[in-house]
Amino acid sequence: MSRTVLICDDALFMRTMVGDILQQAGFEVVGEAETGVQAVEKYRQLRPDLVTMDIVMPDMGGIDAVREITKQDPSARILMCSAMGQQALVVEAIQAGAKDFVVKPFQPSRVLEAVTRVLAA
Amino acid sequence: MDQARYAELFRTEAGEHLDALDTTLLDFETEPHDAHVATLFRSMHTVKGMAAAMGYRAVERIAHDLESLLDRVRSGEVGAHDVLVTRLFAGTANLRTAVETAMRSPDEPTERLTTTASSPVDGTRIEIAEIDPLTGFITVAVSEPDSAQPTRLSTATEGCVVHVRLTADCPLKGVRAMLVLARLESLGAVRSTDPPQSRWNDEHFDGVFAVTVLSAASADVIETAARAAGDVARVTVHTLPSKAATNAATNAATNAATNAATNAADPTLTTVRVERKRLDSLLDLVGELVVTRDRLLRIAEESDTSSTRVLTRVAHDTARLISAVQDEVLQARLVPIGQVFERFPRLVRDIARDLGKDVRFVIEGREIELDRSLLDAIGDPLMHLLRNALDHGLEDPETRRAAGKSPTGTLTIRAVRDRAAVVLQVEDDGRGIDRLAILRRAHQHGLVSPGITQITDEDLLQVLAHPGFSTARAVTAISGRGVGVDVVATRVRSLGGTLALETLEGEGSVFSLRVPVTLAIMRALLVVVDGLTYALPAAHVIEALEFDPRLLVPTTDYESITLRDEVLPVLHVRERFHRPRREAESHVVVVEVAGRRTALVVDALIAQLDIVVKPYQAVKGSAQWFSGATVLGDGTPALIVDLGSLT
Repeated sequence: MSRTVLICDDALFMRTMVGDILQQAGFEVVGEAETGVQAVEKYRQLRPDLVTMDIVMPDMGGIDAVREITKQDPSARILMCSAMGQQALVVEAIQAGAKDFVVKPFQPSRVLEAVTRVLAA
Repeated sequence: MDQARYAELFRTEAGEHLDALDTTLLDFETEPHDAHVATLFRSMHTVKGMAAAMGYRAVERIAHDLESLLDRVRSGEVGAHDVLVTRLFAGTANLRTAVETAMRSPDEPTERLTTTASSPVDGTRIEIAEIDPLTGFITVAVSEPDSAQPTRLSTATEGCVVHVRLTADCPLKGVRAMLVLARLESLGAVRSTDPPQSRWNDEHFDGVFAVTVLSAASADVIETAARAAGDVARVTVHTLPSKAATNAATNAATNAATNAATNAADPTLTTVRVERKRLDSLLDLVGELVVTRDRLLRIAEESDTSSTRVLTRVAHDTARLISAVQDEVLQARLVPIGQVFERFPRLVRDIARDLGKDVRFVIEGREIELDRSLLDAIGDPLMHLLRNALDHGLEDPETRRAAGKSPTGTLTIRAVRDRAAVVLQVEDDGRGIDRLAILRRAHQHGLVSPGITQITDEDLLQVLAHPGFSTARAVTAISGRGVGVDVVATRVRSLGGTLALETLEGEGSVFSLRVPVTLAIMRALLVVVDGLTYALPAAHVIEALEFDPRLLVPTTDYESITLRDEVLPVLHVRERFHRPRREAESHVVVVEVAGRRTALVVDALIAQLDIVVKPYQAVKGSAQWFSGATVLGDGTPALIVDLGSLT
């Protein structure tokens, strides 16, 4: 049985890229979200094994979504996807409950290492 | 990675974002709204991420710099002025070019397009030093605070020092270090880190750090845990020899002295930066505390017997302390209104110039403080009023001279405190409002009966604030598009405030916005109407009394009562809420809004107390009588009445 992932990013382009990397590693993409609000809702519905979360999204940002999801499910496994120069925001995301982070541009090997760490925790 | 497959996706989506950027920039140029900045920031951020994923370094860098600039605009460090907008336009154009170039030949040399800007770091001051006209690039001057001395590692009585080196290519080393620290924290008590954790987010943090931890775990276990955080190149664990407790104490004292010395040497540490979010959540917590305080007091008072006297006293002490905390938090949220006022001079000058008017702009009371959430909301209404004054109020120099006035008009914006409120006034010495023209138009719209030939300032404002009402013959680019007094009135009311007008033909007009100093907690009078509890803002309540039908004065159009020597119109709140009147005893609450007094008839009075204001969204199409909601001590919700729209 493959592990499930919910991908949250407001750019279709990014969601596709992350989805491809994870699918090749044997994950099943069970849902996508474009906004923080959608992310929280879909997490509730799908209870995926893993969540990838972009930091800046419209209609509730990634950090707030992490907070909400972790509030509902403290065992949630969330991986933050960050861009260059967002150290302070990633720190905040981790404090809000995210387990680890990867930085764009994504290197598939790094993404998978991070995912392994998040799932092992 | 399959470049070709993603390239087309990138082109399409980047193109959409670039278009959105241009459109939003145009909106932003006409109305420097915070919402636009947020949209710009998000789009820029997305483009940056996509470019990074594609490895288009040049695009990524330009987007990153523009994003940083937008972030500074968002936080208020950089003001919205037209130099900024021009640079943003130029930057976006550069971005387009960079995207085209990248997609044609991804290996284009990028040195030319770098900047000397660095990301904002805590405590540094950023100033725009130079804007490169060729690339549209912004150079910033960064002045860093004095680096604090690294705290000396305290040698604990027992424990170990874990030296960690992160991999050279580890991104966001500060965050990774934090994850390592978290793993170590699960094994024992972390005593200190070198360099201190506050420095881990610095630009020059190189991923080499040491953690002193008291732990029963073996060196192997510690090393495994640290490595499990990821991107760790090297870990060495040194167990510390046991030292006497006095040594540890001495070291701790030395550390404290070093810190104190650092603090004393830097006299500027009298303020600290606090995230706005933190203040917001502090306020939420205080709000809950206030509600709990009132419940505690009520319970203590109700169960007050000789055996629970101590409890009562403690409850009162607690209540006093909570009130004190409430005051401190509310104070911490106050910001001088000058922050909002200072954007105006430039805008007023530009608009006056465009309209061919000669204007002297005066600002008074910029040190008056307001809750920071009010600050954001109050800027637009003030700007509308300033525009109206410039467009319709002030005359051009020739007209003024002909009227015997000085050719230079005076436009004043002023803030004054008035008990629990702040009054903001926009005053001009222009032509005043043409009452007859307004009356004529009001007759046409059916707002005023044809027989009326005179109109008071209050009624004049009511007419002007009627949705869609405008006397501008030509909808000007500046004040047109329905940006009328009605928009200002609605916004002010949604903040729990009121709008008032004084105007004299030929002399000028004064618009006064009255807003509470703080939004979140307000004093209210709780009343009952048809079984439900409602909150009336105490600031507007003059008095409350039992309803005696003998006070009623018979008049033709409406009911009124005489109170002492005053005749007040009566409003049966039950009727307004489409409930049947009741014969049993009622109470009257006399309220005053924008200078007018009304006697509200309600079923019963409950109490006057502090309530926490929560936002409230009316159901579409329903009456707009409520400006907020609150939850009372016993858990029942109560709607906060917007007296302005009810009366």
